Amino acid sequence: MLDQGRISSVQLFLLLVIAEAATAFLYAPSDVIKMAGRDSWLTSVIPTISGLVVAVVCIALAKRFPQQVFTEYLPQILGKIPGKILAGVYTAVFIHLSSVIMNQSSAFIHVAFLRETPLVALEIIIGLASIYGVYLGIEVIARQNELVWPVWVLSIFIIILLVAESINPDNFRPFLEKGIMPVIKGSALFSSFRGEVFLLLMLYPYLNKKEDVYKSAVYHLLTTAVLLGIITAAIIGVFGELIPVYMVFPIYNLARYISLARFVERIQILIVVMWMFGVIVKLAVFYHSAAIAAANTLGLKNYRLTLLPILAGTIIISRLFYGDHLSLTHFLSHIFPYYGPVVELVIPALVLLIAVILKKGGKS
Amino acid sequence: MESWENMISFLRWLGKLLKHMTAEPTGALLKPGDPGYQEAHTLTTNLDKNIKIITEIFGLSDDLMVRGMKIGRGKKQVRVAVIYLDPLINHTRLQQGLMHCLQTIDHLPSMGVTTEWLINNALSDGRVIEKKSFVEITDEINRGAACLLIEGLDQALLIRLAEKIGRAVEGPVTENVSKGAHDAFNEDVRTNIALLRKRLHTTRLAVENLQIGELTKTEVKLVYLKGYVIEGLVDEIKSRVRRIRIDGIVDSGQVEELIQDSAFSLFSLLDSTERPDKLAANLLEGKAGLLFDNTPIAIIIPGTLINQIQSPEDYYQRYWFSSWIRVLRWLALLTALLGPSLWIAIITFHQELLPTELLMTILVTREGVPFPGLVEALIMELSLEVLREAGLRLPQTFGQTISIVGAVVLGQAAVSAGLASPGMVIVVALTAIASFVIPTQPLSNTIRILRFPFMVLAASFGLIGIIVGFSILTYHLCSLRSFGIPYLSPLAPLSFGDLKDAFIRAPIWKMLFRPRLIGYREPQRQNPDQRPHPPARKGKKFIRRRKQ
Repeated sequence: MLDQGRISSVQLFLLLVIAEAATAFLYAPSDVIKMAGRDSWLTSVIPTISGLVVAVVCIALAKRFPQQVFTEYLPQILGKIPGKILAGVYTAVFIHLSSVIMNQSSAFIHVAFLRETPLVALEIIIGLASIYGVYLGIEVIARQNELVWPVWVLSIFIIILLVAESINPDNFRPFLEKGIMPVIKGSALFSSFRGEVFLLLMLYPYLNKKEDVYKSAVYHLLTTAVLLGIITAAIIGVFGELIPVYMVFPIYNLARYISLARFVERIQILIVVMWMFGVIVKLAVFYHSAAIAAANTLGLKNYRLTLLPILAGTIIISRLFYGDHLSLTHFLSHIFPYYGPVVELVIPALVLLIAVILKKGGKS
Repeated sequence: MESWENMISFLRWLGKLLKHMTAEPTGALLKPGDPGYQEAHTLTTNLDKNIKIITEIFGLSDDLMVRGMKIGRGKKQVRVAVIYLDPLINHTRLQQGLMHCLQTIDHLPSMGVTTEWLINNALSDGRVIEKKSFVEITDEINRGAACLLIEGLDQALLIRLAEKIGRAVEGPVTENVSKGAHDAFNEDVRTNIALLRKRLHTTRLAVENLQIGELTKTEVKLVYLKGYVIEGLVDEIKSRVRRIRIDGIVDSGQVEELIQDSAFSLFSLLDSTERPDKLAANLLEGKAGLLFDNTPIAIIIPGTLINQIQSPEDYYQRYWFSSWIRVLRWLALLTALLGPSLWIAIITFHQELLPTELLMTILVTREGVPFPGLVEALIMELSLEVLREAGLRLPQTFGQTISIVGAVVLGQAAVSAGLASPGMVIVVALTAIASFVIPTQPLSNTIRILRFPFMVLAASFGLIGIIVGFSILTYHLCSLRSFGIPYLSPLAPLSFGDLKDAFIRAPIWKMLFRPRLIGYREPQRQNPDQRPHPPARKGKKFIRRRKQ
């Protein structure tokens, strides 16, 4: 284990929530509403089950090697070369996911305000703030998250509270007009976001009381389900099922909708800003996993060496592959639903199967 | 080849070992005439030789007094000598406690004079100790003891007769409170210990002596409550203090810098105070303190950020009011840190955040100001900093001049000359006032410095820059530890029970437990049923009893 930090089960729970939800509700609602229409708020229920499956598989695997992270014990299960290759693949996955998050956040800031600031500059400062946290270790990230969490959750609840009067219950009726299938399709889209609980593979060894991991995972899944459900419901309740499809960031439009006593207006920027705290932590969690995975793959003793190259890599990927907004939405709605489950569930499940068959690691 | 080399190195090591074992102890290696020769030795039985050595050690010191005299009557008289440093001695006590006693000795014991006999029968002063070596004797003389040498004895008696030099106990300078004790530490460590002991009448209070500085030999007292202090803290403090090898220290601030955890952090990781009540309260929580001779500021170990935003007064006032003040202080802290940068971000990037009328007013007043927001803010902030520093060192009579120059010239004239907008002046003034609300000086200073990077970030990236800066700041704060205790506790890592003493101040009877990370050895600090209530009415009790 390259990072000697220790985190509590509550810290793990909060970290998982922010690592998953901080960007999930930016892009997902618009695509999900496209598929599931006015019943989209239901789509936060089914992915909870798939998330639970991912969590169970990851925990079962992690428990076999309680003192090591995923990329560290891969060579022990699969043999040296295949293990290293798979660890390399996961390094790439984490770097790629980081660059997607980076792209999402910078694009969001760009759309919301700061139209003239170059996106690269934005990505560099956000990335620097995140890797500073990674440099200090997982313990610091977890503590930072404890500070950030109230602010971040508050930003969501302010939106919901202040638009509550504009929610029209008629927008939810008729219920399940086209049957359950559209909801299931929408859920499939959501489940790749919700599968990010697979970070447990990289975070489990830092947990100080290992037996509480199920508690953290389950609370995390429920909290995320409730949060995402409420947000999607609020979007549909305010805008109906047609308009959000054409919105880039429905949640941002929701924030713009706020008008209280003709004085509290245009506070969407404050919301974005509060939400940014969460994104910096989310990015830090992914960077941390990427850095640890990279160090494991390369056999480095100090994961901090990989930070700056990873930062540069994520910015390059983000600018080169997702330079325009369409390619990002295309990735999120057409590739991520397949790509996500493979890295989140299929590969860990196969590895677990091999470990069970070859009797590698301790009993889970 | 390799074995040969090994052999040779082994032989070398063996040679070194032999040399080391046969070498004489360092004290004996010194030859007469070497500096330090006399100090390493002990007294002889020859009085004149002893006096000569001591005067030689002190060299040309003009203030060293040597007074020879004879004690006893008749033929059995014994020669003695009293040696002291004139400025340090309390002459009344020297006269009454030593000289007078010596002169009135009637008959000496037949067995000969011993130090024991002198202590028991002759000397009236309480603080007498016996020493043999010149090092210890000269050290005591340096601290204001009178040395009594007796013919025929190789022991000296040292009577601590130091005059208390310095001021009396006065009020605090920087940590004023309106309600609460008004005494503060001063430059005499013994007075400081007395002030502390006056508040903690318990045998649990430990006062350990440490010494720093090869030349200054400054007395440092480590104080803590036995059985309550954090486990291992005392040893850690001692080892860090003993690691200090320095010619001298003249203030506790120097030691603070030498023993704190993070060498480069902007934040001061140890709390310092000049109030004995604050130190006592902190010791009661399970912390330790360092008191210094010649410094009116005590150090509290470990320090936390929360502790620096609290004032002892919070606990003396009604808890509603204290809670309100604490919330206000957090707001002031944020204002002092982010005030100018938020202003810059809003007027350069996010004008839409302001209601339209307000925006129009601001834009009209900003018209004609030739600088961009950042430059304007930097000019005003820097002049404010200069003004503050100037006011600090000025004699009090000039204070009024400074305030007029500051208020009229920098504020009013800058606006009417069109060099600064009124809005900016308001923000800068607000920031300055807000930074005075922070009750401890080190934190206030840190905030003053941090304001500037935030302004630059705000001018380049707007609110996002501020968020990024703030994230980096909190990351840094989260990573800090002071003697093992996280600097941001109880916020991060969160201990929910301790929050009742962080942003608010819960009623005293509600604060049942000590802080979780600090006072865990004796978690409970009071009885659980202390909530005050009027006495139950007699009639009611009577009825209840009858029912039962």
